[in-house]
Amino acid sequence: MSTSQNILHAPSARSVRADDAVPSVLDVSNLRVVFEGDTRTVTAVDGVSFSVKKGRTLAIVGESGSGKSVTSLALMRLLPEHTARVSGNVNFDGRQLLTEPTSTMRSLRGNRLAMIFQEPMTSLNPSYTVGEQIKEVILRHRQMSKKEAAERTIAMLRLVRIPSPETRYHQYPHNLSGGMRQRVMIAMALACDPELLIADEPTTALDVTIQAQVLELMRELQQKTGTAIVLITHDLGVVAESCDDVIVMYAGQVVEQCSVEELFTFPQHPYTVGLLGSLPRLDEKRERLAAITGTVPDMANPPAGCRFQARCPFRINKCAEMPALMEVSQSHFSRCWRAPMEDLVP
Amino acid sequence: MSSLLARRLLQLIPTVVILSLIIFSLQHLLPGDPALVLAGENPDEATLAAVRAQYHLDQPIFVQYIFWVKGVMTGDLGESMRHNRPVLDLILLKLPVTLQLAIMGIVVALILGVLGGVISALRQNSAVDYATNVVSLAGISVPNFWLGIMLILFFSVHLGWLPASGFVSPSEDLKMNLSTTIMPAFVLGTAIAGVIMRHTRSAMLQALESDYVRTARAKGLSEWVVVFKHAMRNALTPIITLGALEFGALLSGAVLTEQIFTIPGFGKLIVDAVFTRDYSVVQGVVLVTSLFYIILNLLADIGYILVNPRLRS
Repeated sequence: MSTSQNILHAPSARSVRADDAVPSVLDVSNLRVVFEGDTRTVTAVDGVSFSVKKGRTLAIVGESGSGKSVTSLALMRLLPEHTARVSGNVNFDGRQLLTEPTSTMRSLRGNRLAMIFQEPMTSLNPSYTVGEQIKEVILRHRQMSKKEAAERTIAMLRLVRIPSPETRYHQYPHNLSGGMRQRVMIAMALACDPELLIADEPTTALDVTIQAQVLELMRELQQKTGTAIVLITHDLGVVAESCDDVIVMYAGQVVEQCSVEELFTFPQHPYTVGLLGSLPRLDEKRERLAAITGTVPDMANPPAGCRFQARCPFRINKCAEMPALMEVSQSHFSRCWRAPMEDLVP
Repeated sequence: MSSLLARRLLQLIPTVVILSLIIFSLQHLLPGDPALVLAGENPDEATLAAVRAQYHLDQPIFVQYIFWVKGVMTGDLGESMRHNRPVLDLILLKLPVTLQLAIMGIVVALILGVLGGVISALRQNSAVDYATNVVSLAGISVPNFWLGIMLILFFSVHLGWLPASGFVSPSEDLKMNLSTTIMPAFVLGTAIAGVIMRHTRSAMLQALESDYVRTARAKGLSEWVVVFKHAMRNALTPIITLGALEFGALLSGAVLTEQIFTIPGFGKLIVDAVFTRDYSVVQGVVLVTSLFYIILNLLADIGYILVNPRLRS
């Protein structure tokens, strides 16, 4: 097989996963999000399907504009209703999230479905104390007195390892560093023990050392609580470190779906290969990082056929037709006419 | 916070000094000898000299300034030549009237402006939004005197519901007081409501698009809490400053409205004083309104600190 497998010392790729029996928390099928503007209509998410298993982490990977953030906001029903048309099926614990009444969604959000965002600097309200903002979500979803909620807030701050939580409780977001604020966001999201946590680029805005701490914290809390996580990122290093399964998105579509080990050892879509090729590595001598040439297509007028073809070094005539997401090996899917290919290595 | 407040109070000193210099020199920029005015008709040299000595007009200008400041500090703003009464008495007599109008005006403006701004932000690009915008633009553009006259024509002349002019003190008859002040207060309020509405709308739109509002929604909070607790708190901070400035403008700028509704307030006092060359009254009124402006600005800054935790620590 490939040389990269040896380097990563990954367990045998393409092995049947033993935990396929783990029940899934979230099942998304054929999710479509269309933004209707005055002059143009953009299909930001085009038929995306995936499921997230209990206690596991699914990474959604892709570059800016691939539709990964829109996907997460669509699941939470947080997209502006007058411009975004969302269709498909989102099954969360037997409920169809896209058709539930707004009141039901509100009682799920922050409670059983939680979300943290990319910008800890702006995601907290500057006018309220950190404690007030965490307490608010507890009081909203739990039958607790204000005192109990305040105690739970302090316990949550302690859980995310914020030093002297009693003092921090009364401080405002501007008194805290970026890493601290993201910990506060995590405490807020986990305050009601959600079954599913959606983390949209939770570490992108942080310093590298802080990134590692925050990821480590999330992983540790997941082990304690059994929360399933959807981690949206463009950083393959984050994927390798903290995820179980991965979907790669390109131009609103899933182009590859597999386990994390498979992604690094046996990538089956040229776009994934390109992403891996643009990762800096210390274990190989390279003249320069291989960037993917070209840019993401205009989603108001996506090209016919494979959406990656204009940037693809493996292009063939057949790419003028849109390939389906095909199973190339057990639990490994690729949207490429040429998959499976043994030599598709970065 | 206390150091910020102290700094803010220190900044007042040069402002007040410059203000006093401007107002003091107002009197000296005017043509003519005040002694001639004060000494009555055809005075002889001895009377003039006596008058000059009495009012320190024979002293160097700097000394005159010191005497004037001393007088102002002890509440002596001079005499009105026309009314033969201390200026301070006149001001204290008229101030409550203008203050009442200004407060009613700003309340009308805040209710209409904030409500309109929030509604049009929540219903951005809807018919309601466009209608609110048109109405607010009309509020800004329509001159006060025209709106005042139209209101008088409709409510006083046509319907006969409200008195066309005049003023009744609230201590005398509260109901009559309100019916004489409601129209001028509405005229004053609508002119400002438009400005406040536009600011509220854009501040609310910005707040509603912010990340922390998305977070609030992701917490499952009701739309009411999202809008009124999370978005509005941040959107209204600039409105505090705007409201204070507009309130100051109402205190000094109600001249036309008071004239139309013949309300015996500050505006009328200053217009009458200008026409009769009653300079000490003009000076006194300008001084008091300027001081109000300065105090309101200070209060706005304090309010701003109170609602904005980033300034507090």
